[in-house]
Amino acid sequence: MTTLRPFTCDDMYKFNNVNLDPLTETYGLSFYMQYLAHWPEYFQVAESPSGEIMGYIMGKAEGIAENWHGHVTALTVSPDYRRLGLAASLMNFLEDISEKKRCYFVDLFVRVSNKVAINMYTNLGYIVYRTVLEYYSGDPDEDAYDMRKACSRDVKQESVIPLTHPVRPEEVE
Amino acid sequence: MSSKNHVQDNSVAERRLRPIYEWLDSGNNKKSLQECEKVLKKTPNLLCAKALKALTLLRIGKESESIMVLDSLTEEKPTDEATLQAMTLCCRELQQVERICKIYETAVKLDPTNEELHTHLFMSYVRICDFKSQQKAAMSLYKFKPKNPYYCWAVMSIVLQASRGEGKSDPKKKQLLLSLAERMMDKLIVENKMDAEQQVQLYIMILEQQEKYKEILQVLDGSLGAKLSCTDISQAKIPYLKMLQKWNDVNLISKKILAKSVDKWNIWKDYINSVIEIISDNKNINSTDNHDLGDSDIETVDDSPEKAHEFICRLVENGADNGFLLRGPYLARFELCLKLSEKNMDTFELLGDVTELFVEYFRKFGHKPCCVTDLRSYLKLLNEEKKADLSTRLLKDVGISATNIPKSEQQMQRHICALQLSRLCGSHRRLPDFHLKALVTAFSLHYQHGYQSYGNLLLSTDLGPSDPYGLLAVHVLYDLARVQNSPEPIVVALVLLECLLKNSPSNFHAKLLAVRLYHTVGGGIGAQNMYNSLEIKHLQLDSLGYIHCSRLPTTGLIGLATTFYDATLKFFASNYKDSSDHLTSSYKFGSFAKLDEFMDFREKLNNSIHYATVTVDRIMLTFMCCLNMEALMYSVEVVPKWDLLRNNNDLNVYVSWDPERINTPPEESLEIKNLFQQDIDFLKLRTQVVWCITAALDLIKSTDGVRENHIQRLGKLIEDWKIFEDIIREKKHEPINQDRITLPLPSRLHSFLDCAYQDILGNLLRFLIAIVQEDSVQRKELAIKIKTDLSKLTENVECIMKGTSDFLQLRTTMEYVVNNVEIICISCIICNICHDLVKPIQSKKGKKNPVESKGRDTVIDVIDCLKTTIIKFVTSLHLWQAVSTRTDIEVELECLNLNNNGNSVFQNILSSHVQAVNELQSVLNTKLKLINVNS
Repeated sequence: MTTLRPFTCDDMYKFNNVNLDPLTETYGLSFYMQYLAHWPEYFQVAESPSGEIMGYIMGKAEGIAENWHGHVTALTVSPDYRRLGLAASLMNFLEDISEKKRCYFVDLFVRVSNKVAINMYTNLGYIVYRTVLEYYSGDPDEDAYDMRKACSRDVKQESVIPLTHPVRPEEVE
Repeated sequence: MSSKNHVQDNSVAERRLRPIYEWLDSGNNKKSLQECEKVLKKTPNLLCAKALKALTLLRIGKESESIMVLDSLTEEKPTDEATLQAMTLCCRELQQVERICKIYETAVKLDPTNEELHTHLFMSYVRICDFKSQQKAAMSLYKFKPKNPYYCWAVMSIVLQASRGEGKSDPKKKQLLLSLAERMMDKLIVENKMDAEQQVQLYIMILEQQEKYKEILQVLDGSLGAKLSCTDISQAKIPYLKMLQKWNDVNLISKKILAKSVDKWNIWKDYINSVIEIISDNKNINSTDNHDLGDSDIETVDDSPEKAHEFICRLVENGADNGFLLRGPYLARFELCLKLSEKNMDTFELLGDVTELFVEYFRKFGHKPCCVTDLRSYLKLLNEEKKADLSTRLLKDVGISATNIPKSEQQMQRHICALQLSRLCGSHRRLPDFHLKALVTAFSLHYQHGYQSYGNLLLSTDLGPSDPYGLLAVHVLYDLARVQNSPEPIVVALVLLECLLKNSPSNFHAKLLAVRLYHTVGGGIGAQNMYNSLEIKHLQLDSLGYIHCSRLPTTGLIGLATTFYDATLKFFASNYKDSSDHLTSSYKFGSFAKLDEFMDFREKLNNSIHYATVTVDRIMLTFMCCLNMEALMYSVEVVPKWDLLRNNNDLNVYVSWDPERINTPPEESLEIKNLFQQDIDFLKLRTQVVWCITAALDLIKSTDGVRENHIQRLGKLIEDWKIFEDIIREKKHEPINQDRITLPLPSRLHSFLDCAYQDILGNLLRFLIAIVQEDSVQRKELAIKIKTDLSKLTENVECIMKGTSDFLQLRTTMEYVVNNVEIICISCIICNICHDLVKPIQSKKGKKNPVESKGRDTVIDVIDCLKTTIIKFVTSLHLWQAVSTRTDIEVELECLNLNNNGNSVFQNILSSHVQAVNELQSVLNTKLKLINVNS
């Protein structure tokens, strides 16, 4: 049970219960602001009936020609509100917007170790399009899966034919 | 030919300049400067190299040289992009953003058809929020490049003049500006030029500010609405229909939306609200009772509680979506019940006993953690008796008593929910201590059982499923500490939290509680360790600054405080600077609706009380730690905008199951509002101290001619402080009640008022004035007072230290001691200034100045007294190091089966104490050296 509404600057003062979770990164202000200025419709927050932030999704649309696609930059749900289908509704929302923007596909990056997330995306219809080597810096660096789901505009589903070889981060624009 | 030459020139210049950019980017400013000089030798007229030189000089710290280069460059009136960009950067780092406008104004005049330059000029006005000039710049840009976005920039600039500029305080002007903006947009529509979603949004925004809701609905329904591809039109209409009180329409639209997606909570609220409004409308016109009992059709308006209930029930029956049982319609019944009862309408007939609603909801969703927050705000439907009844019912329903344990993870989660709801219902209030102890034991054992049964295979990033038991135990231990007025339960709670965190190292709730508890018992270092593991950064430095950074000044951990202040100040300063970039991006991408939000946010950040307090604390810390007077010769201006100060603390981060939480979130509670007022008063007092000391420092920097003015200013400041302090004392502020673990510790105001800031520092400053004015009577009288107060100070400090017998007092005593060290340190500074003024000056003729040496004896006298005070203070600090507050809590820990003697927690607290005492001693010794120079 959710109120889905556009993310506002003020929400950054209230998202600590979501962001203190170790798997959610807190970025510098400019990062959020840039998304708010450029793709405000892609940045949505899910609010609980009691007014708390349950989770949010941050995304954008970019690319040229057949590469015009929606991208999930961050998706996070607070521990107290997991297993309620919230991530799925947030993803639905982003896919909807991407459809309306006539995108060819939606993509996202996920740590190869994050089994829970990979499973969830698979259930939502995403496939592993390619592996991006050492995409996440850390000790040691970790690979990412670039996962994709085709939008209706990609009638022939060409955007979701998996690559056979992994790529380096610099090959991903 | 000439243009070809130009191209060649450009590429040559670019090649020459590249190394400079590279050095600048890598932060190697020295190399960059060398490179600039080299390039300028070869091509002295390469303006961009000059601009980069100005930037480099600034980054090296040679501000005045940088400004000189920039000034001469400005006179050359550059128009090329690269030079202007470098100059822009330089101006921004100089914090002279207004200058950027001037530079581009000149450039645009010289090259009036350059679109890029016009754009930059417009953006330069955006940075300084000069809406009028923005409008002009955008219009002249549009005139020779008639592109829609430029036109909209102009319109938006007009809207901002209406909402934030001239129109802000002048409704007539506002109306005029808005109708101008509307007409400009109308023109676009008439000419059929409106083509983008953002333009339609801007148009709606203008209509909205004029409260033209009918017109907005027409836009949404018309051809322009079709351009809003990312907007759900029917949902977008609801707020305006509400404004127009078209409840029937709200009702129908929300029904349609809900029938498709039953989990949209905002729509449920709109739906129920519309039903209630329709009912009261009907009552008002006394219409005949035309609603048949409970027949709700999707096409017809629901105008009775029965129909609403019928609608809700139908959606309940439609059942699950996505494979998840959806809570929406179930919770909608509570909302209906609440709204009906707010209107004093009977709910029993329709919904039955309210308690049963809770029990039913709990049976359906009790295995989800969110069940508690879902139900929390509806607990106000029950009176105290019914709450107690509900609490018993839920616990019974789970089927767990003192003698058995959960048989499944789901049952455990239901038990946890029942316990949390029960605490919200007040079941832990007014319990005798043995009862509280029994609860703690039970929770702690449940925690361990749950961990062993369901928590073993977790990832290090998961929260343990039984952790909430542990957190509840900590809340109850805190209650126990309050009931017994003893610190032992707090230490036990910290041991429990440390154990819990070994099992689930990511549980941030546990860390937050530990930070709070460590600070409660004076364990700054323990708090620091916990805080560190929370990885708090960026905006959290503001929203969560209150949990740790704000407490550090009271801990005596001076080194740590310095690090935190600097990081915090850096965050605020750089983000305020950067935040103008987001405004310019908004124009670039046409997200006009975000502009207001961005500007508000910017103000919120800049007027954070945390920011202002840390700024002042940092200055006070400089006074405290300075090794010599030279360190104080630069002055920082602090002028907070008192009326605009904001409390940006995220208090909700502490999950609360206290009954008070039912009615209000913490930030709206009276306690927190009072605390904020106390913090403001405290900040004002300290700012006045800073102003006084800065004025005193200005005095010795001044020459004889203007000295009289400085004296007058200082005198005025001292009196202002005195008057203000008296007013605050009159208010008789009470420290915030400490009964709830989720609320902050008391304001620093109280301890400040307990200390002799005004008596000692105020009088020392008056003494300083008396010396300059050669008023020997005043001087002598004040010296006597100061000496008495100084010896009183040592006595008081010693007495309070000796009386400190437990960990709870350790914190308050430490705060008191730190404040007194601060008083002494600042006293040393003032005495040094005094001494400076009476120093025998060798005049040109080699004669000593007889008048000034007169005051010298009194000054030396006061300084001697200060020295004695410091020596005594250091001695008592030395003795205090061995404070003995440790108590035996092994029995308590054994009861909880914690296999831990609490050593590490005790060690943590005591090492904070020892470190703080050491740091304070060394600060005092440094000051002793500072005034020893004078004898």
